[in-house]
Amino acid sequence: MMRDLHDHLKTRYRLGDLAERRANLAFVDVARADLRALLVELRDVHGFTHLSLLTAVDWIEEGRFQLTYLMNNRTANRSLGLRVFLDRADPVGDTIHDLWPTAATYQRELREMFGIAFPGSPRVDEEFILEGWTDMPPYRRDFDTLAYSQQTFSDREGRETHDPRAHMAKKLNPEGQR
Amino acid sequence: MGNLRDVLSPFTAWKHLIETPVTIRNPIGREAADGYRGFHQNDIEKCIGCGSCEVICQNAAIDMVPVSAPVDGDSGLRPKIDYGRCCWCALCVDVCMTGSLTMSNEYTWVDADPDAFRFIPGVDPKPWDDMEKGYRREGARVLTGAERVEMGELPPEARIDNFDEIVVGYTREQAMIEADRCVECGLCVATCPAHMDIPDYIAAIREGDYDLGLQILYETNPFSEVCGRVCTHKCETACAARHEGDPIAIRWLKRHIVDNVSEDRRLEIVGTPQALPTGRKVAIVGAGPAGLTAAYDLARQGHAVTVYEAQDKPGGMMRYGIPEYRLPYDALDRDIAVIAAQGVTIKTGVRIGREIAMDKLRGEFDAVVLSIGLHIGRSTRIPGTEGPGVEAAIDLLARITAGEEVPVPERVVVIGGGNVAMDIARSMARLQKRKHGAVGVTVTALEDFAHFLADREEIEESFDEGIEIVDARGPQEVVRYKSGKRKGAVKGLRTWAVTSIFDGQGRFAPQYDQGDERLHPADMVVEAIGQAADVSILGEDLTEALEWTRGRLAVDPAGRSSEPWLWAAGDAVHGPDVITAVADGHRVAASVGAMLMAMGEVAR
Ligand SMILES: Cc1cc2nc3c(=O)[nH]c(=O)nc-3n(C[C@H](O)[C@H](O)[C@H](O)COP(=O)(O)OP(=O)(O)OC[C@H]3O[C@@H](n4cnc5c(N)ncnc54)[C@H](O)[C@@H]3O)c2cc1C
Ligand code: SF4
Ligand code: SF4
Repeated sequence: MMRDLHDHLKTRYRLGDLAERRANLAFVDVARADLRALLVELRDVHGFTHLSLLTAVDWIEEGRFQLTYLMNNRTANRSLGLRVFLDRADPVGDTIHDLWPTAATYQRELREMFGIAFPGSPRVDEEFILEGWTDMPPYRRDFDTLAYSQQTFSDREGRETHDPRAHMAKKLNPEGQR
Repeated sequence: MGNLRDVLSPFTAWKHLIETPVTIRNPIGREAADGYRGFHQNDIEKCIGCGSCEVICQNAAIDMVPVSAPVDGDSGLRPKIDYGRCCWCALCVDVCMTGSLTMSNEYTWVDADPDAFRFIPGVDPKPWDDMEKGYRREGARVLTGAERVEMGELPPEARIDNFDEIVVGYTREQAMIEADRCVECGLCVATCPAHMDIPDYIAAIREGDYDLGLQILYETNPFSEVCGRVCTHKCETACAARHEGDPIAIRWLKRHIVDNVSEDRRLEIVGTPQALPTGRKVAIVGAGPAGLTAAYDLARQGHAVTVYEAQDKPGGMMRYGIPEYRLPYDALDRDIAVIAAQGVTIKTGVRIGREIAMDKLRGEFDAVVLSIGLHIGRSTRIPGTEGPGVEAAIDLLARITAGEEVPVPERVVVIGGGNVAMDIARSMARLQKRKHGAVGVTVTALEDFAHFLADREEIEESFDEGIEIVDARGPQEVVRYKSGKRKGAVKGLRTWAVTSIFDGQGRFAPQYDQGDERLHPADMVVEAIGQAADVSILGEDLTEALEWTRGRLAVDPAGRSSEPWLWAAGDAVHGPDVITAVADGHRVAASVGAMLMAMGEVAR
């Protein structure tokens, strides 16, 4: 059970409370310094051999990024997500490409989309899917997608929109009566 | 140059020319996954044109375009999508307030004309319109909350022996959560008789700027404290949120703003008339919401306004009709104080037509506004209604307000199924509880519960307070004791079951099952079946000179009667509620003001 595993691990690692989403899916916060050792132990001792994904969340209000490492134990059919927090002002993560080669791709994507650095990760500074991107990393919450889209792409001729409230006022109350 | 990339991107693509293509040469015919996000579908009947899809689209791919004539709760606009911009993210589907917008799993379509890729899903026919597969939002919408924040109320046992206000009002936290559910589409504005700027004042709550909120309220409604409590809130029937959840509690949010601005601060924000005195004089007959709103506007235009009111205090039905447990008198007083502060003279205890004749007003003022409401209680005129023990609901309510002693027998039967019937039933129940320790009120209504006139909340709260409501009963006779000590006193109300209320032409013609007869025991019967205007005050000559339509004074859309010096507003000509009276007051003030300005021009 996830809970037993959590109890077992928390004596040696700095872990937060276990957040159980489903019987076979749970998440836990981990101190950044403990991440690598914990990943290795989960992989080599507890059967979490597969890194399902590595992704990030921008908690802009709290000034930090969350990295989520979703680990899967195929034989036991359960997943455990490890959450590590980075300072948003200076976001540097620790590369784990040597533990799972696929991590390099995820890290390259996070570098591009969130601007999180992973020093030492192969090809991490190369373009991933954005070509010639000069703007702020687009998955950051303060990136204004609409403004970017409007600056970058022109509208087709003849586009015209109507504000529902103003349109109704004009049609139903043409004299502007209060 | 903002669109540089449009021009350059074809060239940057050239570098791929020599690479082996990774695309499939002819994808047509290969079906996408079941839940794929392809071209949109829109159920045009279900869509209300709220524009939430347009607002959320981060690619500015959607325009709202006119498709049909706007009606209450539907702008008649429908989303038109530019697939040159759409990135197929489905945010529009996720936010859609009605669930009308979905996506098919069709993603291939070839056309040489780029403008063919701008169309109105559901209006411009497409092969994928009826496809079952594609992206559907799972369950109800979640991006905006579907459930209304519940309003705190005094429990029945705490309210039944007093007239304390039942509704508690939102806390700041509650109001914030409720305000956050609003998508600011503004469909409600057209439905509100006074066209209040609802999304704007809700936004002010979200910003925590109550001063701004109050300012917005006053632009359209000087009775916002009253309306925040008792408005019939038609706006909520037009709210986009009602389609997949509860409508926004617009009325309670309005009240929340007013609750958070002190009376002194309100006077500071609203201020006093900025216009120079015009020297023009207007008389207003009746200090209800219609008359006082007109007074407020006209005073702010710089005219000298005198309001004549027959009762001891101003407010009309807001004071003498609506019970205190729904609208405390001090709440009404605060709204009136701001109006009086505009320099409006309110002369109470003066009945026009008795103390002062209409002719005299006509001679002394440049214009007269008649806003006398409906103050004569109608009677069923069934046998037995003449004599002691039969009362009109509005007379009783007025006497309760005035602090007069009213008869409080142990058993009361009310005739009527509207909100006025509920108001008198619940008022009598409180008085009975105080005097006898028990409630003994029966309401008999012509309508069955499925077609009841009173609001659902009123019915539920009445039940909670121990009031009996019997539906589909037609009153036949007020039965009186024929002999003995109580000879002549009311014994009860005899009713028949109602089988239908209207005839084939929709005319009022109730039919009964005479075999199903009941006697509802009562010591007093109260009639609450409607009110009429007391137009006798006009006098014979004026009544003769004026135009009438079906017993009501005829007025033009601006509220002007056939006599150029006389306007009419509120219940007496329109009805049925406070906010309509407020709207009427504004309308009449604008018309009177325009006439007075024209007079000024001529004089100069
Ligand atoms: C019991 C009851 C409950 C109601 N509940 C609600 C509710 O919850 N929500 C809602 O929106 N509406 C409600 N209404 C309706 C609402 O009160 C009226 O629609 C509104 O008050 C009409 O405003 P008015 O200015 O036209 O007239 P009124 O409010 O009726 O005011 C007219 C005024 O004119 C005065 N007057 C009459 N004749 C003369 C004269 N000859 N000389 C001098 N003064 C005169 C009267 O004394 C009165 O003060 C209720 C009505 C009743 C009766
Ligand atoms: S799918 Fe996304 S990009 Fe396309 S119209 Fe909807 S919100 Fe806009
Ligand atoms: S959000 Fe839905 S209901 Fe509103 S306009 Fe768009 S498609 Fe219509």
